[in-house]
Amino acid sequence: MERRPAEHFDRDLEAALVRGRAMSVPGLAGRVVAAVRADRVRRVVIRWGSGLSAAAACLVAALMLNFPSEEALIVEARSLVAAEESAQFHEFLSLADDLALLQPVIERPALIEDLADGGS
Amino acid sequence: MADEEEDRRLMGLVAAGDDDALRLLVHRHHARLVGYLRSEVGSQATAEELAMEVFIRLHRAAGRWRPEAKLSTYLIHIARNLVLNEWRRRSRKPTSALESAPEPGDAAPESGRRVLELEEAFSRAVAQLPEEQRTAILLLVQQEMPYEEIASVMGCPVSSVKTWIHRARTRLKELMRDFYGLES
Repeated sequence: MERRPAEHFDRDLEAALVRGRAMSVPGLAGRVVAAVRADRVRRVVIRWGSGLSAAAACLVAALMLNFPSEEALIVEARSLVAAEESAQFHEFLSLADDLALLQPVIERPALIEDLADGGS
Repeated sequence: MADEEEDRRLMGLVAAGDDDALRLLVHRHHARLVGYLRSEVGSQATAEELAMEVFIRLHRAAGRWRPEAKLSTYLIHIARNLVLNEWRRRSRKPTSALESAPEPGDAAPESGRRVLELEEAFSRAVAQLPEEQRTAILLLVQQEMPYEEIASVMGCPVSSVKTWIHRARTRLKELMRDFYGLES
Protein backbone atom coordinates (compact mmCIF):
# COMPACT_ATOMS: atom_id res chain seq x y z
CA MET A 1 0.00 0.00 0.00
CA GLU A 2 1.32 3.42 -0.93
CA ARG A 3 2.34 5.34 2.14
CA ARG A 4 0.53 8.49 3.03
CA PRO A 5 2.36 11.71 3.88
CA ALA A 6 3.27 11.99 7.57
CA GLU A 7 1.58 15.39 7.80
CA HIS A 8 -1.77 13.70 7.08
CA PHE A 9 -1.58 11.58 10.25
CA ASP A 10 -3.48 13.87 12.63
CA ARG A 11 -6.16 14.63 10.07
CA ASP A 12 -6.61 10.95 9.22
CA LEU A 13 -6.72 10.01 12.92
CA GLU A 14 -9.46 12.53 13.49
CA ALA A 15 -11.40 11.38 10.44
CA ALA A 16 -11.15 7.73 11.53
CA LEU A 17 -12.30 8.39 15.07
CA VAL A 18 -14.99 10.91 14.19
CA ARG A 19 -16.60 8.36 11.87
CA GLY A 20 -17.50 6.35 14.97
CA ARG A 21 -18.53 9.35 17.01
CA ALA A 22 -22.27 8.70 16.91
CA MET A 23 -24.06 5.41 16.31
CA SER A 24 -27.82 5.58 16.33
CA VAL A 25 -29.55 2.44 17.60
CA PRO A 26 -33.23 2.14 16.64
CA GLY A 27 -35.42 1.03 19.51
CA LEU A 28 -32.85 1.64 22.23
CA ALA A 29 -35.03 4.21 23.98
CA GLY A 30 -37.90 1.71 24.24
CA ARG A 31 -35.60 -0.96 25.62
CA VAL A 32 -34.23 1.45 28.22
CA VAL A 33 -37.71 2.44 29.41
CA ALA A 34 -38.76 -1.24 29.62
CA ALA A 35 -35.63 -2.05 31.63
CA VAL A 36 -36.22 0.91 33.95
CA ARG A 37 -39.82 -0.17 34.59
CA ALA A 38 -38.68 -3.72 35.37
CA ASP A 39 -36.01 -2.30 37.68
CA ARG A 40 -38.63 -0.17 39.42
CA VAL A 41 -40.88 -3.20 40.09
CA ARG A 42 -37.90 -5.21 41.36
CA ARG A 43 -36.98 -2.47 43.82
CA VAL A 44 -40.55 -2.28 45.16
CA VAL A 45 -40.57 -6.05 45.72
CA ILE A 46 -37.23 -5.89 47.52
CA ARG A 47 -38.42 -3.01 49.69
CA TRP A 48 -41.62 -4.86 50.68
CA GLY A 49 -39.66 -8.02 51.35
CA SER A 50 -37.26 -6.17 53.64
CA GLY A 51 -40.16 -4.54 55.49
CA LEU A 52 -41.94 -7.84 56.07
CA SER A 53 -38.71 -9.48 57.27
CA ALA A 54 -38.13 -6.65 59.73
CA ALA A 55 -41.72 -6.89 61.02
CA ALA A 56 -41.37 -10.65 61.49
CA ALA A 57 -38.13 -10.16 63.41
CA CYS A 58 -39.81 -7.60 65.71
CA LEU A 59 -42.69 -9.99 66.40
CA VAL A 60 -40.34 -12.81 67.31
CA ALA A 61 -38.36 -10.48 69.59
CA ALA A 62 -41.55 -9.33 71.32
CA LEU A 63 -42.64 -12.94 71.92
CA MET A 64 -39.22 -13.85 73.28
CA LEU A 65 -39.25 -10.95 75.75
CA ASN A 66 -42.74 -11.74 77.12
CA PHE A 67 -41.99 -15.38 77.87
CA PRO A 68 -39.09 -16.03 80.27
CA SER A 69 -36.28 -18.09 78.97
CA GLU A 70 -35.36 -21.52 80.28
CA GLU A 71 -32.31 -20.08 81.96
CA ALA A 72 -34.39 -17.47 83.75
CA LEU A 73 -36.71 -20.19 85.01
CA ILE A 74 -33.78 -22.23 86.29
CA VAL A 75 -32.35 -19.24 88.15
CA GLU A 76 -35.72 -18.52 89.70
CA ALA A 77 -36.14 -22.14 90.75
CA ARG A 78 -32.73 -22.20 92.38
CA SER A 79 -33.46 -19.06 94.35
CA LEU A 80 -36.72 -20.56 95.61
CA VAL A 81 -34.97 -23.75 96.62
CA ALA A 82 -32.28 -21.75 98.35
CA ALA A 83 -34.93 -19.79 100.22
CA GLU A 84 -36.67 -23.01 101.28
CA GLU A 85 -33.42 -24.59 102.37
CA SER A 86 -32.55 -21.50 104.30
CA ALA A 87 -35.88 -21.59 106.13
CA GLN A 88 -35.49 -25.25 107.00
CA PHE A 89 -31.95 -24.72 108.18
CA HIS A 90 -33.05 -21.82 110.30
CA GLU A 91 -35.74 -23.93 111.83
CA PHE A 92 -33.22 -26.64 112.56
CA LEU A 93 -30.89 -24.22 114.23
CA SER A 94 -33.70 -22.83 116.31
CA LEU A 95 -34.55 -26.31 117.51
CA ALA A 96 -30.92 -26.89 118.38
CA ASP A 97 -30.90 -23.72 120.37
CA ASP A 98 -33.94 -24.84 122.23
CA LEU A 99 -32.32 -28.20 122.95
CA ALA A 100 -29.17 -26.49 124.18
CA LEU A 101 -31.20 -24.52 126.69
CA LEU A 102 -32.85 -27.65 127.85
CA GLN A 103 -29.54 -29.56 128.15
CA PRO A 104 -28.84 -29.19 131.93
CA VAL A 105 -32.48 -30.05 132.68
CA ILE A 106 -32.35 -33.15 130.50
CA GLU A 107 -29.24 -34.43 132.23
CA ARG A 108 -30.93 -34.42 135.62
CA PRO A 109 -32.54 -37.75 136.10
CA ALA A 110 -34.85 -36.40 138.81
CA LEU A 111 -36.46 -34.06 136.36
CA ILE A 112 -37.02 -36.85 133.96
CA GLU A 113 -38.60 -38.99 136.59
CA ASP A 114 -40.81 -36.11 137.54
CA LEU A 115 -41.80 -35.61 133.95
CA ALA A 116 -42.38 -39.29 133.50
CA ASP A 117 -44.64 -39.27 136.51
CA GLY A 118 -46.61 -36.60 134.70
CA GLY A 119 -46.06 -34.03 137.43
CA SER A 120 -48.32 -35.73 139.80
CA MET B 1 -26.71 26.31 26.27
CA ALA B 2 -30.30 25.68 25.15
CA ASP B 3 -29.40 21.97 24.96
CA GLU B 4 -28.18 22.00 28.55
CA GLU B 5 -31.33 23.71 29.73
CA GLU B 6 -33.45 21.15 27.95
CA ASP B 7 -31.40 18.38 29.56
CA ARG B 8 -31.98 19.90 32.99
CA ARG B 9 -35.68 20.17 32.35
CA LEU B 10 -35.90 16.57 31.20
CA MET B 11 -33.83 15.32 34.13
CA GLY B 12 -36.24 17.02 36.50
CA LEU B 13 -39.11 15.17 34.85
CA VAL B 14 -37.22 11.88 34.94
CA ALA B 15 -36.64 12.36 38.67
CA ALA B 16 -40.41 12.78 39.03
CA GLY B 17 -40.95 9.42 37.32
CA ASP B 18 -41.74 10.60 33.79
CA ASP B 19 -40.74 7.75 31.46
CA ASP B 20 -41.43 9.81 28.33
CA ALA B 21 -38.83 12.33 29.47
CA LEU B 22 -36.38 9.46 29.89
CA ARG B 23 -37.20 8.26 26.39
CA LEU B 24 -36.45 11.75 25.05
CA LEU B 25 -33.14 11.90 26.91
CA VAL B 26 -32.13 8.56 25.43
CA HIS B 27 -33.03 9.83 21.94
CA ARG B 28 -30.88 12.91 22.49
CA HIS B 29 -27.77 11.27 23.87
CA HIS B 30 -27.58 7.59 23.00
CA ALA B 31 -25.89 7.89 19.59
CA ARG B 32 -22.74 9.54 20.85
CA LEU B 33 -22.73 7.35 23.93
CA VAL B 34 -22.88 4.17 21.84
CA GLY B 35 -20.21 5.58 19.50
CA TYR B 36 -17.85 6.17 22.39
CA LEU B 37 -18.58 2.78 23.98
CA ARG B 38 -18.19 0.99 20.67
CA SER B 39 -14.74 2.53 20.26
CA GLU B 40 -13.77 1.51 23.77
CA VAL B 41 -15.01 -2.09 23.87
CA GLY B 42 -14.91 -2.97 20.17
CA SER B 43 -18.27 -4.72 20.10
CA GLN B 44 -21.55 -3.18 18.96
CA ALA B 45 -23.62 -5.58 21.11
CA THR B 46 -21.57 -4.88 24.23
CA ALA B 47 -21.69 -1.14 23.52
CA GLU B 48 -25.50 -1.25 23.36
CA GLU B 49 -25.73 -3.26 26.60
CA LEU B 50 -23.45 -0.83 28.36
CA ALA B 51 -25.37 2.14 26.97
CA MET B 52 -28.60 0.70 28.41
CA GLU B 53 -26.88 0.27 31.77
CA VAL B 54 -25.71 3.90 31.63
CA PHE B 55 -29.27 5.14 31.21
CA ILE B 56 -30.61 2.82 33.90
CA ARG B 57 -28.04 4.19 36.32
CA LEU B 58 -28.87 7.71 35.21
CA HIS B 59 -32.52 7.04 36.00
CA ARG B 60 -31.66 5.73 39.48
CA ALA B 61 -29.52 8.80 40.18
CA ALA B 62 -31.96 11.32 38.66
CA GLY B 63 -33.20 12.48 42.04
CA ARG B 64 -29.65 13.21 43.21
CA TRP B 65 -28.29 14.70 39.96
CA ARG B 66 -27.04 18.27 40.24
CA PRO B 67 -26.43 20.16 37.01
CA GLU B 68 -22.91 21.37 37.84
CA ALA B 69 -21.62 19.41 34.86
CA LYS B 70 -23.19 18.86 31.49
CA LEU B 71 -25.41 15.81 31.27
CA SER B 72 -23.37 14.50 28.32
CA THR B 73 -20.24 14.65 30.47
CA TYR B 74 -22.03 12.85 33.30
CA LEU B 75 -23.15 10.12 30.89
CA ILE B 76 -19.61 9.62 29.62
CA HIS B 77 -18.40 9.48 33.23
CA ILE B 78 -20.82 6.63 34.01
CA ALA B 79 -19.94 4.95 30.71
CA ARG B 80 -16.24 5.05 31.45
CA ASN B 81 -16.75 3.35 34.83
CA LEU B 82 -18.71 0.61 33.09
CA VAL B 83 -15.94 0.25 30.49
CA LEU B 84 -13.39 -0.18 33.28
CA ASN B 85 -15.61 -2.88 34.85
CA GLU B 86 -15.90 -4.54 31.45
CA TRP B 87 -12.12 -4.62 31.03
CA ARG B 88 -11.70 -6.06 34.52
CA ARG B 89 -14.27 -8.72 33.70
CA ARG B 90 -12.48 -9.56 30.48
CA SER B 91 -9.10 -9.76 32.20
CA ARG B 92 -10.56 -12.39 34.58
CA LYS B 93 -12.13 -14.37 31.79
CA PRO B 94 -10.21 -15.36 28.65
CA THR B 95 -11.87 -13.93 25.57
CA SER B 96 -11.28 -14.38 21.92
CA ALA B 97 -9.35 -11.72 20.07
CA LEU B 98 -12.47 -10.99 17.99
CA GLU B 99 -14.20 -9.40 20.94
CA SER B 100 -11.68 -6.61 21.12
CA ALA B 101 -11.13 -6.19 17.40
CA PRO B 102 -13.25 -3.81 15.36
CA GLU B 103 -16.16 -5.55 13.71
CA PRO B 104 -15.86 -5.59 9.92
CA GLY B 105 -18.36 -3.93 7.71
CA ASP B 106 -19.33 -1.19 10.10
CA ALA B 107 -18.01 1.65 7.92
CA ALA B 108 -20.38 3.44 5.58
CA PRO B 109 -20.78 1.59 2.28
CA GLU B 110 -19.74 4.56 0.18
CA SER B 111 -16.20 4.72 1.67
CA GLY B 112 -13.41 3.73 -0.63
CA ARG B 113 -11.65 0.47 0.09
CA ARG B 114 -8.41 2.22 1.02
CA VAL B 115 -10.11 4.67 3.34
CA LEU B 116 -11.93 1.77 4.96
CA GLU B 117 -8.69 -0.12 5.39
CA LEU B 118 -7.05 2.95 6.95
CA GLU B 119 -9.96 3.50 9.32
CA GLU B 120 -9.93 -0.12 10.42
CA ALA B 121 -6.18 0.11 10.97
CA PHE B 122 -6.70 3.16 13.17
CA SER B 123 -9.45 1.36 15.13
CA ARG B 124 -7.17 -1.63 15.74
CA ALA B 125 -4.34 0.66 16.80
CA VAL B 126 -6.55 2.61 19.23
CA ALA B 127 -7.77 -0.67 20.70
CA GLN B 128 -4.16 -1.55 21.50
CA LEU B 129 -3.53 1.61 23.52
CA PRO B 130 -3.38 1.44 27.33
CA GLU B 131 -6.75 2.24 28.89
CA GLU B 132 -6.02 5.84 29.99
CA GLN B 133 -4.46 6.79 26.67
CA ARG B 134 -7.31 5.26 24.70
CA THR B 135 -10.00 6.99 26.75
CA ALA B 136 -8.22 10.34 26.63
CA ILE B 137 -7.69 10.28 22.86
CA LEU B 138 -11.27 9.13 22.21
CA LEU B 139 -12.77 11.84 24.39
CA LEU B 140 -10.58 14.53 22.83
CA VAL B 141 -10.64 13.59 19.17
CA GLN B 142 -13.84 11.59 18.79
CA GLN B 143 -16.11 13.29 21.33
CA GLU B 144 -14.45 16.71 21.01
CA MET B 145 -14.40 17.27 24.75
CA PRO B 146 -12.27 20.04 26.22
CA TYR B 147 -9.37 19.00 28.43
CA GLU B 148 -11.11 20.13 31.60
CA GLU B 149 -14.12 17.93 30.92
CA ILE B 150 -11.91 14.97 30.09
CA ALA B 151 -10.10 15.51 33.38
CA SER B 152 -13.45 15.57 35.17
CA VAL B 153 -14.58 12.34 33.52
CA MET B 154 -11.30 10.57 34.23
CA GLY B 155 -10.93 11.98 37.72
CA CYS B 156 -7.44 13.34 37.19
CA PRO B 157 -5.60 16.63 36.62
CA VAL B 158 -5.57 18.26 33.18
CA SER B 159 -1.81 17.73 33.05
CA SER B 160 -2.33 13.96 33.22
CA VAL B 161 -4.82 14.13 30.35
CA LYS B 162 -2.33 16.01 28.20
CA THR B 163 0.39 13.51 29.02
CA TRP B 164 -1.79 10.57 28.06
CA ILE B 165 -2.83 12.20 24.80
CA HIS B 166 0.77 12.93 23.88
CA ARG B 167 1.73 9.32 24.60
CA ALA B 168 -1.30 8.05 22.70
CA ARG B 169 -0.35 10.00 19.59
CA THR B 170 3.24 8.76 19.82
CA ARG B 171 2.14 5.16 20.22
CA LEU B 172 -0.40 5.41 17.39
CA LYS B 173 2.28 6.75 15.05
CA GLU B 174 4.40 3.73 15.89
CA LEU B 175 1.52 1.35 15.25
CA MET B 176 0.58 3.07 12.00
CA ARG B 177 4.05 3.49 10.53
CA ASP B 178 3.31 1.00 7.76
CA PHE B 179 0.68 3.42 6.45
CA TYR B 180 2.70 6.61 6.80
CA GLY B 181 6.19 7.80 6.03
CA LEU B 182 6.94 8.09 9.70
CA GLU B 183 10.22 7.55 11.51
CA SER B 184 9.99 4.60 13.95
